[in-house]
Amino acid sequence: MLLLIFKRVLIAFFTVIAVILLSGILVHVVPGDPVTAMMAQSVSATPEAMAEMRARLGLDLPVWQQVLLYTWHVLQGDLGTSIRGNESVAWLFLQRLPNTFSLAVSGLVIALAIGLPLGFIAAINRGRLAETVVMVLAVLGVSIPAFWLGLILMQLFALELGWLPVAGSGWRNIVLPALTLGLTYCALVARMTRSALIEVLEEDYIRTARARGLREYQVLFVHALRPALISIVTVVGLVFAYLLGGQVIIENVFSWNGVGRLAVQAMLQRDYPMIQGFIVVFATSVVVVSMLIDILYGFLDPRMRKS
Amino acid sequence: MSHLISRKRMTLLLAAAAIGTVTGTAIAAAADLSVARSVDADSLDAYKTSNTQSLQITNLIFDTLLTMDKDGSVHPGLASAWTMSDDGKTYSFTIRDNVKCHDGSSFDAAAAKASLDRAIDPATVNPSLSAWGPISGTAVEGTDLKVTLSEPYGPFTSFLTSIQASFMCPSSFASAEFKPVGTGPFKLVDWVRNDKIELEANADYKNFSPLIENPGKPHIDKLTFKVIPEAVARMAALRSGEADLVEPSLEEATDLKDDEAYKVYAAELSGQQVIAAFTWKIKPLDKPEIRKAIGMAMNRDAYASIAFEGLVNTANCPVAPNLFSTDEALCATWGVSYDQAAAKAIMEENGYTAENPLKVKLLVHKLPGWDQMHQIMQQDLAAINVQADIETREVAAFFDYMSTVNEKSDGEPAVWTMGMSGVDPDYLYFLWKRPGFVNMGLNETVDTMLEEQRKLSGDARADKIHEIEKYLMENAYAVPLLSPGWGWLMASTSKVDGFKMGFMVSLLFNDVTVAE
Repeated sequence: MLLLIFKRVLIAFFTVIAVILLSGILVHVVPGDPVTAMMAQSVSATPEAMAEMRARLGLDLPVWQQVLLYTWHVLQGDLGTSIRGNESVAWLFLQRLPNTFSLAVSGLVIALAIGLPLGFIAAINRGRLAETVVMVLAVLGVSIPAFWLGLILMQLFALELGWLPVAGSGWRNIVLPALTLGLTYCALVARMTRSALIEVLEEDYIRTARARGLREYQVLFVHALRPALISIVTVVGLVFAYLLGGQVIIENVFSWNGVGRLAVQAMLQRDYPMIQGFIVVFATSVVVVSMLIDILYGFLDPRMRKS
Repeated sequence: MSHLISRKRMTLLLAAAAIGTVTGTAIAAAADLSVARSVDADSLDAYKTSNTQSLQITNLIFDTLLTMDKDGSVHPGLASAWTMSDDGKTYSFTIRDNVKCHDGSSFDAAAAKASLDRAIDPATVNPSLSAWGPISGTAVEGTDLKVTLSEPYGPFTSFLTSIQASFMCPSSFASAEFKPVGTGPFKLVDWVRNDKIELEANADYKNFSPLIENPGKPHIDKLTFKVIPEAVARMAALRSGEADLVEPSLEEATDLKDDEAYKVYAAELSGQQVIAAFTWKIKPLDKPEIRKAIGMAMNRDAYASIAFEGLVNTANCPVAPNLFSTDEALCATWGVSYDQAAAKAIMEENGYTAENPLKVKLLVHKLPGWDQMHQIMQQDLAAINVQADIETREVAAFFDYMSTVNEKSDGEPAVWTMGMSGVDPDYLYFLWKRPGFVNMGLNETVDTMLEEQRKLSGDARADKIHEIEKYLMENAYAVPLLSPGWGWLMASTSKVDGFKMGFMVSLLFNDVTVAE
């Protein structure tokens, strides 16, 4: 088990380094730089002033030097300073991570609370009306854009009913974005739960369990659910990782002050340290969650430990 | 059955979660005003930002030495009077007595000097540094701040009225961490980045701006700027009462302007101007008559009334209306007039027919209203046998690309559009003096005239600026289109009264009252 953990940590470390290097290059390949974005259409944007500012920000160095320098700083725990506002990138992320984390957790809890039972219902009612209804709902959930669903919920709960606020980052403000994320991802969880359970329910040992006269709830919850959890955990883990870094649209719709919004603003402003900081944080969260899933596999499935 | 129960429970749980959070929508009290904007300030240090949304806030916290009236004339501000030496190289500003900073300290000539020294210190990395002019020295003489320039700089006093030329109290930058302390109408209470900025009225405030009627403390007590990136959500906030004043999208502003429950404000004093320009080094756009024909095809009235829904005006000069020396009537005599038949005839004389059209690129960047304007423009050009392919880029990428395109003297010719803003016609210098903004500089004649206007003042400078404008327009290097041209619109509920937008899209809240 320790060897498994060691291997996964090592792979995770080099994956993050590769992401930093690659993203560092790609960020510089995109046309326009922070100085152009900052001084575009400003009466002070003389070529001399722009060149001086590039030099002061270190943007006059060759791209490979900038990328290596940044990677070296990240390895020392320094994510740099934002070009706009001149603030510590790590501090800006740390300020927003609790918001992003709480929204991700809330969204995931709602997705699981709705998705798992629905998937379970569909699996044990295979070929019946219940399965069709659940699958239609799942297809709808996957197809409806989160942006649109968010606006509909906002219209209903904030404007028509006046129950919840439109925008902000207070505790009342989390309900609508969490509900939007939950409703969007519950469809994925439901589909995954259904497929995983159906696969397990067709195994020989389930037939054997039933033949031995075990009650149906024992068959389902004791013998079927645990193996099915392996696939479900993978999806849940990836959904969570995605929610940590990828809820950009929902954060924008509901003005939720998380890292996603920070990233969008940084991209528009070509704030390289902020963009790269976001990539590092996002990549690390995906890699760490994937690593934790792998390790969790080891606990859920003894065969993984041996392999 | 048990699964059905689970599902029902889940529904009930979700409903309970939603209902449990219900406490009713907050509505601003009468003396408070809540403003929703699309983006946050990136800094509250006016010497470290050129971002309009940042300067809109710093302009509320800090004052300027001088102020500007609607006609572009310069008036006293923190300085009650000023003089310029005969050689135009030395200015003396008399700082008013008894001006108090938000922290209770006095704002005097020494404070003004400290602030100015910081603004022009290269270590500050001020993105507006060059606009301050060639300042070579500052000194305090009694209540006067003396500023010495290495050469005359005509736009200096105009610049001192702008939102980039804030004067700060020294306590702002006394420690390593910047704290915005000014003499302006509002004090900073709290700033949660990307979320909200809270300001409160400065009880000791004395107004000097001719754009404002209220001589003292603003009528509202508390001013909160919220960040709501999505236009739909900002409108929802306005309609639900969460915000009193918002930045609407162009489409929503159009709906609101006909609704008595709302008011729409356009930044008419923005100093903004939209122009069409050409890659004039590339044939056949090197011929003034071809450029003129293209300008004659552009239906500016349609751009203003259709693309911008009548919320902007057509413009005749290469400089925005209301700025120093701008004379729209005079510019109209120099520029091209809309005449598609005559434009088509010119193109046909030059061999461009419906079967053999002139192929150009229409290089643009994305902004509300601009997309529609470019589509109409494309049709306008098609009518005179010019086939224009629209290429749209995001702002930073666009200007980066234009720098390359404007350097070329061969390849596919292009017509492009851009906007510029400022408080003085000196932005012609920034645009057209070689190498110029994104390499759009012209020639020695223009360079000389642009240098000369900087050394003049008063009527002589106005005449020189007219000469430059005439040259640009008679040679059709620029086709003025609209003013203002950006989506700087605001909308409020009808309860809000007295809100104004000043130069450079500054937000003026001093006269604002909110009815119950």
